[in-house]
Amino acid sequence: MNEARMILNCSLSSLTFSRIGLAILASSLFSLSAQGDEADLAKQWMTIQPLLLQHCGDCHTGDEAQAGIRLEKYRSPGEILQSRKTWLKIQQQIEAGIMPPVQSEPIPAAEKVKILEFIQTATHAVNCVKDPNPGKVTVRRLNRFEYANTVRDLTGIEYPKALEFPGDDVGYGFDNIGDVLTLPPILLEKYIEAAEEISKKAILIPPPSKKYKSEWSGSQLKIEKGGGANGNFASLSSAGEAYVYEQIPWPGTYKLIVTASGDQAGDEPAKAAVLVDGKQIKILNVPNKRGEPKDYSVTLRLKSGRRKIAVEFLNDFYRDDGSGKKLDRNLLVEHLKLEGEKAGAKIATSELPESHQRLIPQVPANAEDRHGATLNVVQKLANRAFRRPATAEEISRWVGIAEKVQDDGESFEASIQVVLQGILLSPQFLFRIEKQRPITGPEKYAKLDDFELATRISYFLWSTMPDDDLFRLAAKKQLREPQILRGQVERMLKDRRANQFVENFVGQWLQLRKLDEFQPSKQQFPNFDDALRNAMKRETFTFFASVMRNDESVLNLLDSDYTYLNESLANFYGIAGVQGEQFRRVSLEGTVRGGLLTQASILAVTSNPTRTSPVKRGKFVLDNLLGTPPPAAPPGVPELKDKGELTGTLRQRMEQHRANPACAACHQLMDPLGFALENFDAIGRWRGKDGQEIIDASGELPDGIKVDGAIALRKLLREKYQDKFLRCFIEKTLTYSIGRGLDYYDLCTVEKIENELKQSDYRFSTMIFEIVRSDAFQKIGSRE
Amino acid sequence: MNAKRISRRTVLRASGVCLALPLLDAMAPQLRSAISMAPEGKLRMGFFYVPNGKHMPDWTPADAGPNYQLTKTLEAIAPFRKKVSVLSGLTLDGARAHGDGGGDHARSGAAFLTGAHPRKTDGADIQNGISVDQVAAQAIGGESRFASMELGLEGSAQSGNCDSGYSCAYSSNLSWRNSTSPLAKENNPAALFDRLFGSNPSNGKVDDNQDPAQRYRRSILDSVLEEANGLKKSLGQSDQRKLDEYMYSVREIENRLGRSDLVVRTDGDRVDYARPAGVPKELDEHCKVMLDLFTLALQTDSTRIISFMFANEGSNRAYTQVEISEGHHELSHHGKSAEKQEKIAKINRYHMSKLAYLLAKLDAVQEGEKTLLDHCMLIYGSGISDGDRHNHDDLPILFCGTAGGRIRQASHHQFSKETPLCNLYLWMLRQFGLKLDSFGDSTGVLKLT
Repeated sequence: MNEARMILNCSLSSLTFSRIGLAILASSLFSLSAQGDEADLAKQWMTIQPLLLQHCGDCHTGDEAQAGIRLEKYRSPGEILQSRKTWLKIQQQIEAGIMPPVQSEPIPAAEKVKILEFIQTATHAVNCVKDPNPGKVTVRRLNRFEYANTVRDLTGIEYPKALEFPGDDVGYGFDNIGDVLTLPPILLEKYIEAAEEISKKAILIPPPSKKYKSEWSGSQLKIEKGGGANGNFASLSSAGEAYVYEQIPWPGTYKLIVTASGDQAGDEPAKAAVLVDGKQIKILNVPNKRGEPKDYSVTLRLKSGRRKIAVEFLNDFYRDDGSGKKLDRNLLVEHLKLEGEKAGAKIATSELPESHQRLIPQVPANAEDRHGATLNVVQKLANRAFRRPATAEEISRWVGIAEKVQDDGESFEASIQVVLQGILLSPQFLFRIEKQRPITGPEKYAKLDDFELATRISYFLWSTMPDDDLFRLAAKKQLREPQILRGQVERMLKDRRANQFVENFVGQWLQLRKLDEFQPSKQQFPNFDDALRNAMKRETFTFFASVMRNDESVLNLLDSDYTYLNESLANFYGIAGVQGEQFRRVSLEGTVRGGLLTQASILAVTSNPTRTSPVKRGKFVLDNLLGTPPPAAPPGVPELKDKGELTGTLRQRMEQHRANPACAACHQLMDPLGFALENFDAIGRWRGKDGQEIIDASGELPDGIKVDGAIALRKLLREKYQDKFLRCFIEKTLTYSIGRGLDYYDLCTVEKIENELKQSDYRFSTMIFEIVRSDAFQKIGSRE
Repeated sequence: MNAKRISRRTVLRASGVCLALPLLDAMAPQLRSAISMAPEGKLRMGFFYVPNGKHMPDWTPADAGPNYQLTKTLEAIAPFRKKVSVLSGLTLDGARAHGDGGGDHARSGAAFLTGAHPRKTDGADIQNGISVDQVAAQAIGGESRFASMELGLEGSAQSGNCDSGYSCAYSSNLSWRNSTSPLAKENNPAALFDRLFGSNPSNGKVDDNQDPAQRYRRSILDSVLEEANGLKKSLGQSDQRKLDEYMYSVREIENRLGRSDLVVRTDGDRVDYARPAGVPKELDEHCKVMLDLFTLALQTDSTRIISFMFANEGSNRAYTQVEISEGHHELSHHGKSAEKQEKIAKINRYHMSKLAYLLAKLDAVQEGEKTLLDHCMLIYGSGISDGDRHNHDDLPILFCGTAGGRIRQASHHQFSKETPLCNLYLWMLRQFGLKLDSFGDSTGVLKLT
């Protein structure tokens, strides 16, 4: 763009069409991209302003102007643009016939059209040099495909149930539009269920350790000789033992705690031996007096099974000291406690699922280590799940949950499982959040941060979260460097994850998803089955992917000399020499087919179950290839009462329909485009006749161009309507990539991409790169 | 057996289970039975929507009053004609263009329960109105486990433009929680079964076992709510709206966890129903299972309000079940062709056979002296009258059930031209005890009794 200042007429087609009525449509459909520059517009204003003053000036001039609208004060189109909202209202009121009011003289139809057309142009002029609004994308919930992919990349778990989640409505032709993606309770229920299932599959909780504990009061111990129960004690006053038989649950180390005291006498303290099955294990000195019991701990290695555990009194002592005083040494066993713990079976690292190892790269070695390990593991998880470095507050929230779980006695692994479950329900995971941020520096609009940008790119091309390379570049803030960005785009397009772009973008752009519901008549098309249906889809996906991966010209989509077929589809097309069910590149030279439009998938999805629909096919071309959707049939299409039922061949019936002027304007466009494909039946097979009728695939467009048959149509599209196709393709891809409908201010972005594309031989990767590099993709604007 | 009101705790005490809170999970699927209940004749509200209008000459009875002759299309409901009223002359003005051009299908779907005029947009600034079922749900939904249920046989539209510049959200959703939040439909009978009787978390079961996932469900919901609250502050307006939607859903489920005690069951009449395996491939089977669950949901008082969408508005399904291979929408633009009109009539009769199946199911459930059908206010109909003209006056509407006897005599009512459909809804809302002066574009209350 050489001119320092350039004002462009927005041709974002749907806008133009919805605003301006049918009358303009017929004449301007193929000249939409005419760019009125400022001077031209100013000249027009010279003639429009007097018209407005003539019809509206009585009420809308001077200090007393109604609604404060003073038509005389606007001196230039630039001033109109500055009062855009007012003028859009004016346009609306005139268009709807509310103004001028009924009691005043109406504006003659021809003048009305002129006025409306002018306002449309003037209010939709964008100045591409002066930082046009990059637009605001409403926060996007992951749609079901994105959810499934992201879960897989975050945890390693496949969750195909996600593909049945409800609630992904379509707007602007795609199911990834923030405004339209809602989150009703029923979907949250599914998220809860999914989070629980996924976290359980992703992280294995080791079987918990087992604990054993038995206790006996002294009086429960058996004594055969040397003493007896005395209150709560087992009292041994002469050589003998107090014992129990106990079923030991597993072999291993146990701790026996003997609570004992003694009546002390003589020159040594009371001595006790601990015996297992009669074998002495340890001797205990029990110097403490009766009434002052002490715990004596003994470690026992026990075999499982019934074991006898005994405490024997070793050094009985009894003597009369001669003065009548008795010296007596006794052992009092007050309590026995046996405890054991069996460590949980450790799961060998090799047996842990990969997801587990990735999510829990470390476990705490001991209690002191626990907090640090929790912090590390949670932080790593949150960073990836939120697709950016998690904040300290977020981390502490989730660490808090993990530690609560740990404090409840659960294992470390279980605590991370609960955190994963929670993070999968967090709005930071379920939504792709882009924060509002203040504008710094001289620019008018804030940039996304590098992580948000990485996320946009990754969901655009892969329908999933960024991979490590993208995260790394984002962390280094290098992603915006053109060389690096271009390298990433090329890498990503070659990656197999880009198949998601093909399936999700192409599946919707070309409406292939609707093919799943297409039910052609079984009587007429007995050979149509699911295998054929899938092969059709596969052809289109593979063909598109080939243009993408080989970085071919995007114009090949309109017209190519090759496609991808397997044996069944080749037979269906009548192309010989393809054997086997794998798809491969097949030359189409010398055949009537080539480009998307002659692929069976598209021919079928634009047909009715029993017959072709030239109208649908023509509309498909206008909607999806040329970006000039015709308006809907006007409401209350007049009934064809007088003429009765339409009769004759399809073409004759269409012609009768077109005789009605209300229908003619649009059908003159749609029908010739559709009829050019009449040699393909409702499931895309070549045919010479429809029933008894020889197919006539000729037609004439409103501007006098004649088109006859598919080959001519392809040629026409590639040669004459190339610009329209490019623009349409860019608009569709841009819409998909940023997840919002385009608005008038996006025109600059579209034009710029178009220019770059033309200068690079229409290379596919250039379009993607330019989209990713555009302000609409990289900045946060506002909604108008 | 005389069904009596009994709480789930009681059931468990009686059966010797002494856990504080039991597992619906474990009960239903293993016993292979849901247990019926009798909520003492509570009123229910239901909607059964079919797309693309009707062949009206075969629909409207010639004569008004209780002794009207059943027409060809209405023949299927003959067994229930004492409980079904035909309401002629009602209008859905919101579905009309009002200067917005084409898009009657999208508008009909969106306006049918809201009476609003949906804003023409493919996405940005979606604007409709709150739907009648949701007004009712907000008032009485707390009495049952699910405030309302939204069911259908199709998911949301898959791709492309649904109808002339209208987002597919308009043509795929009948129920709107508010003017910007449509409520997606459940179309998978297995998932629906799990919600009602099975392992879905929203059942609010607290499983007192080793499973931390379930034990920490509530603290997790608290945490994410806290996170959403913090996050909301850093977002712009349209983003905040999305977060609000999220937070509403979290709270709704938290409430439901608390409401698990509301499950009312008896150990009386067992309803033996196996868990469906998934979405049946055959439409007939799919529809049957969904309508069975529709009935069970009301019967077990899991909810009192259901909307059911047979197909998305504008659907071009080919009804091969009745040997029609052309698409429904395509046929509905019949251009006065007698052949096409007959095919549409055939599709209409097919739809009616499904309604008749539902009515039979509902009528077979005894509730005290009456049946479940008696306690219903079930509306059947379409937001378009004649599919070729796309007109939204004189809609095909049936009122099934007698609203618990409030309608003493079923009849063919011929309302005056342009009577808003919302006048009917206002009447229905008032039966729930709502003291509303208006709903949607209502101009008064319909006289039905």
